[in-house]
Amino acid sequence: MSANQPLWLRAVLRAERAVGTRVESAVRTDTYFDVVSRLNRLHGQVNRAAEDLSRRWLHLFNLPAGSDVRRMREQLSRIERRLNLLADEVTEVVP
Amino acid sequence: MNALPATLSPTDLVSRVNGDVERSILRARNGIRILRGTHRPKLGATPKDVVWKRGKAELWRYKGGRVRYGPPVVIVHSLVSRSYILDLRPGNSMVEYLVDAGLDVFMLDWGVPDELDADNDLERYVDWYLPRALAAVRRHTGCDDVTLAGYCLGGVMAALFAAGHDDAPVRNLVLMATPVDFSEMGAMVAMLREGRLDPGDLIDDTGNVPADVLYSGFYMLAPTTEIAQNATLLENLWNDEFVEGFQAMAAWSRDHVPFPGAAFRQVVELLIRENLLMTGSVPLGDRVVRLADARANVLNAMAERDNVVPPPAVEPAMQLVGDPARRHELRLPGGHVTFGTGKSAFKHTMPQLTRWIVEHSDERRDPQERDRLAALGATGIADGL
Repeated sequence: MSANQPLWLRAVLRAERAVGTRVESAVRTDTYFDVVSRLNRLHGQVNRAAEDLSRRWLHLFNLPAGSDVRRMREQLSRIERRLNLLADEVTEVVP
Repeated sequence: MNALPATLSPTDLVSRVNGDVERSILRARNGIRILRGTHRPKLGATPKDVVWKRGKAELWRYKGGRVRYGPPVVIVHSLVSRSYILDLRPGNSMVEYLVDAGLDVFMLDWGVPDELDADNDLERYVDWYLPRALAAVRRHTGCDDVTLAGYCLGGVMAALFAAGHDDAPVRNLVLMATPVDFSEMGAMVAMLREGRLDPGDLIDDTGNVPADVLYSGFYMLAPTTEIAQNATLLENLWNDEFVEGFQAMAAWSRDHVPFPGAAFRQVVELLIRENLLMTGSVPLGDRVVRLADARANVLNAMAERDNVVPPPAVEPAMQLVGDPARRHELRLPGGHVTFGTGKSAFKHTMPQLTRWIVEHSDERRDPQERDRLAALGATGIADGL
């Protein structure tokens, strides 16, 4: 910490470190890891449940759901990736 | 604002007040600029040409003055951040420093992966992109070998390439903040290691780990530092140079790129959970790469205050990569970005890295000088005959 810094800045930096070191240790504890992983899984479950419900409703009216579009995009990406690999192989042979 | 001394002449007082008023005006102007989002610094501005391109990967060759040393330096960037950290701003750029020192500098930038890159695994980077990019370097420069410099995860790929290819044209291997012991990495890595997080939890519909997940991971290393940074900015808001540097760094630290899913799964399984780099052998493709097989001079550079890749995660490279007689270690003051920017980078990192590279390179003569010597040599031979 520089002696040229004004008092207010020194106070802020000191306060930040006082709080920061505690927060940094807290985010490395098992409790934090547990909470984050549980929240992450809960978030996934809620998303899947909501998706499942909306898909059933949309399919009831013969409408495509977001997950159908996603699956189609994934298939298209797979095809495009395969094409890119083939293109790379062709470029190697015929530069 | 500094404290006033006990005695101050009226002239000093006036100049002091003038100075403070001037700073207040500059603070207001720069504050408005930041809020409006205008006057953003120019990032990655060193002039360059794209000399090779495959998929999203590009190889850039930086333009500069006369190249005085060879072989060329090829920087392999990490897969999770933007490469402009090594060429942040004019006058504050590692790339510019190397170019000014007379080196021929290339950067292998991976671009921004999307769903088409989700299948890119470590083999794709180490055994496919890297050999082809280096072949392009050799074609463009006429040099037989290179100085390969990897930053962060780019260092892991550079080391795997140098060790995994018998014919790797690598004279010097520079590892900058390159993690080897993943048990010493931060909280997010620990969560993945202990299985509290699965790679699948982080990979999205595109098949990649989204950039904002990576940002959160880095942010959680020091969640409150932004407060200190903003307070320091407020104090220095009158200083255009400081403000520009701050904006550049702030832009980079939020600007991550998605991590290709296949490579991420491999990193988690092989490097984080099994910590295989620490055994010195990593299965890659249909063979096992032994890090000790790298035949280059190795420089293992680490930053003492790096909280992204802390020194204990980097140090073991000194026991694992390359020939023990050709290993060198460089400890630098500063944090993870000292390899790209900051006062410490200019004072310590750039001069020391450049010195090591130059010491392990050959001096190239000026073409005119070379022609003159060649002519002299020819005359000498003729005279001798």
